[in-house]
Amino acid sequence: MSRKIIPFVVAGILVCLVMVVAGIFSFGGSVSAQKFGSDVAWSRPYTGAESMKILDLTGDGQNDLFIQSPENLTVLDETGEPIFGFGYQSMKTTLGDVNGDNVEDIVVFHIDAGASVDVISKGQRTKLATSLTIGFPSRVAVIRFSSGPQIVLGDSSGNILSLGTDGAPRWDAKLGSDEVRGMDDVKIDGQTFVAIATYDGSLAVFDGQGKAIWRGSQEQLRRMRAFDMNGDGTGEIITGGEFGAFKIYSAADGSLLFEKSLGQAISEVREVELNGDPSSREIVAGGKEGGVWAFTFDGTTASQIWSGSMSDKVTEIAGIDIDDDGKEEAVIGDDNGKVAIFTGNGSRNNLPDRTSGIARVDVGKLGTERYVVVADMSEIQVNKVNFSSIPGFQYTPLIVGLIVSVVILVIAGILASIPKKPEMKVSFQDTSIESLNAQRRMLKESIADVERLRKAGEVTGDAYLARLKRLRGDLADNESAFKKQGYNIKIETIQCPNCGGTLELGMDKCEYCGQVLLS
Amino acid sequence: MEALICPAVIIMVISITVFSYLRNTARKKTPAPAAGKKEFQPVYISIADKPESIMRGMDRFVAEVNRTESAGDKWRWVPMIIFLGGLGVMAIDGLLFLFGYRSLVFVSGGALLWISAIVMARSLRKSDSKDFSPRYKSTKTILYTLRDDLKPSGTFNGHLDLTGAMLKSKIARETKDRRDRTTQYFRDEWLSLKAKLYDGNVLRVSAIQRSKQRQPYWKRSQISGKMKQKPAKFKGSEQQLKVRIAVNPAAYQIVSSPQFRQGMNIGKYTISQLNTEGGIIDVVASSPFEEIEHEHILGFLRSAYSLLQRKAV
Repeated sequence: MSRKIIPFVVAGILVCLVMVVAGIFSFGGSVSAQKFGSDVAWSRPYTGAESMKILDLTGDGQNDLFIQSPENLTVLDETGEPIFGFGYQSMKTTLGDVNGDNVEDIVVFHIDAGASVDVISKGQRTKLATSLTIGFPSRVAVIRFSSGPQIVLGDSSGNILSLGTDGAPRWDAKLGSDEVRGMDDVKIDGQTFVAIATYDGSLAVFDGQGKAIWRGSQEQLRRMRAFDMNGDGTGEIITGGEFGAFKIYSAADGSLLFEKSLGQAISEVREVELNGDPSSREIVAGGKEGGVWAFTFDGTTASQIWSGSMSDKVTEIAGIDIDDDGKEEAVIGDDNGKVAIFTGNGSRNNLPDRTSGIARVDVGKLGTERYVVVADMSEIQVNKVNFSSIPGFQYTPLIVGLIVSVVILVIAGILASIPKKPEMKVSFQDTSIESLNAQRRMLKESIADVERLRKAGEVTGDAYLARLKRLRGDLADNESAFKKQGYNIKIETIQCPNCGGTLELGMDKCEYCGQVLLS
Repeated sequence: MEALICPAVIIMVISITVFSYLRNTARKKTPAPAAGKKEFQPVYISIADKPESIMRGMDRFVAEVNRTESAGDKWRWVPMIIFLGGLGVMAIDGLLFLFGYRSLVFVSGGALLWISAIVMARSLRKSDSKDFSPRYKSTKTILYTLRDDLKPSGTFNGHLDLTGAMLKSKIARETKDRRDRTTQYFRDEWLSLKAKLYDGNVLRVSAIQRSKQRQPYWKRSQISGKMKQKPAKFKGSEQQLKVRIAVNPAAYQIVSSPQFRQGMNIGKYTISQLNTEGGIIDVVASSPFEEIEHEHILGFLRSAYSLLQRKAV
């Protein structure tokens, strides 16, 4: 191929490569220029938040902010002003409509006259049960079984007690011997059950009569959540282990659907609709060392989408569609006071740091605006998160690709215009028979000279062979010139089939490489 | 902000490195060093032609080399421009960052432009050539001077080897001293010419450079006790000229000459061997000079002819 063409062929291949890659980036949607920011709407001091939720708890149609620490629960209005609040000892709370008035109530499981349960409805406190036969509060949940709602209590020793909405005990059970760490309602064939897990790794699903549908065990666990991830009416139970085991079980029979070791204790697991496709649900898990992983569940098993990291133990994960693209972003807080937004492709965008570790993050509408509420160990902060992007930025790879392609083609043009550098071994040869004969004689004399020098010890080893190789090569060229001009010539050289060096006819071993010559 | 410092420092170091490389590549050939040996264009010419053709060929060869080089020189500034363009493209990402956006699209594009600039600079460098050795011109002058003495339609045979005097392939022998240090002796026959002359004589001329170099070796320092490598040391070189004239007995008889005998200095050469037996003049002369100009070689040949006395017709 002509050396004028080669640069253009190479350039053409490179241009194609560059443009294909640029096209993939442009149309694959992985390139964007976007930024997230936040403005503080209001903040107020609050120490040791343990639970927080944006929900209408007063029945006025406007969301309120519920926040709870072990000793205090408070409901704030959209501007941060307290609506009501109560003090308790060692309480655990949950939200659910206990009295059927279509307004969520606050159910408080606490220590008073023994283990007690209060229900706070629209700010009115009612003692539901006292002196219950259960230990130190660990978890409470309102489960809407098909037979009716029940309040399920779990203590720090794995004891479970279910109460009716009238406060009367319905059933009790024992699961493992350690603190109840997870309690969630879960569907099996459209019917509601309760999934419970304890710190020692015991796991079970109970029906409305307290009968265990199945029981299982695994490594010690920190988190358990239940979601119906494929919308088939039967939920999946997700657990995060103390030693990094991330598992998804079928709620129907406890069969393991997915398992992956994440290498660190899993401190939080939440569902976040990262890809905006409701047929597949995404799970974001956070680790004790700051690891963040996103998984998608396709109905039968899960696969990891991306992983990232925070600077410390992940304490809370919440999902919010900030940029109104139908896909939620994961808002993640850590123990070091950092809050970051992870987008659907796993890119991290930091929000302003807090002065203490993040306790809870929730997302919801307060008044007319959607807010991200962040509670750290000393303060609640209500943020308006904003998003901005440069329109059309996804096509910049194509523009950059075009610039690079043009430059490559210009370079190819310049390189093609440069003449080939001449060979540094040149031969000026007259092709008359007299001249060729004279050259042949001269070469033979020179070969004889080299042999003489070798015998005299003036030239040895490599130098002798190199000189001889060159002279024999010239002799072979001379023979070729003879043949080309049609003169008779007695061929006196052969080529080594191994190294290509020219040898004298009749030699049985190549002097340069040692190859045995059989011809 | 701390997270920015590390990438910024890396980009800066890479930028400076690429810029330095391109600036050095864009420069014209470096001039001859004030001290040390200058490197010349390595050329090997096989000679078997009439003097005019050889000289024309030599001129054409120089012109071709220069044409390639000047074609490359014309575009030497382009890689630098592409580099600066790449820097500008990258700066767009920097600007976006200042506005709070994160993008690596323009940095990637800039990096591709830099790679293109480096590839181009390397390719242009291939068109570079070093200066031709003065021996190239000297040989041409020798051929020019001897052209009229050549037998009509006769040719010069031989070679001009300017590939370098101290190549591995030119090591004639090696010796080791008591301290196990290796010294290499190089024999570079850079010019070899044979020609049948107008007067019937056959002239053979060989110019040889003999060099000596001690190889690098390891030595334990007497002060610190550490092993240190001593670099290769050039121990000098000398030029040798071998002239052999097979005398046409019909035209000449060999006589002794007071101007041309063993031990005499002829130009830069000193005759070390002289043999006139059997109708052949064999002379070996040596010179401590590293470079011998053509006039000294031609002068030596002219002096060698003082041993010949033309017979009466």
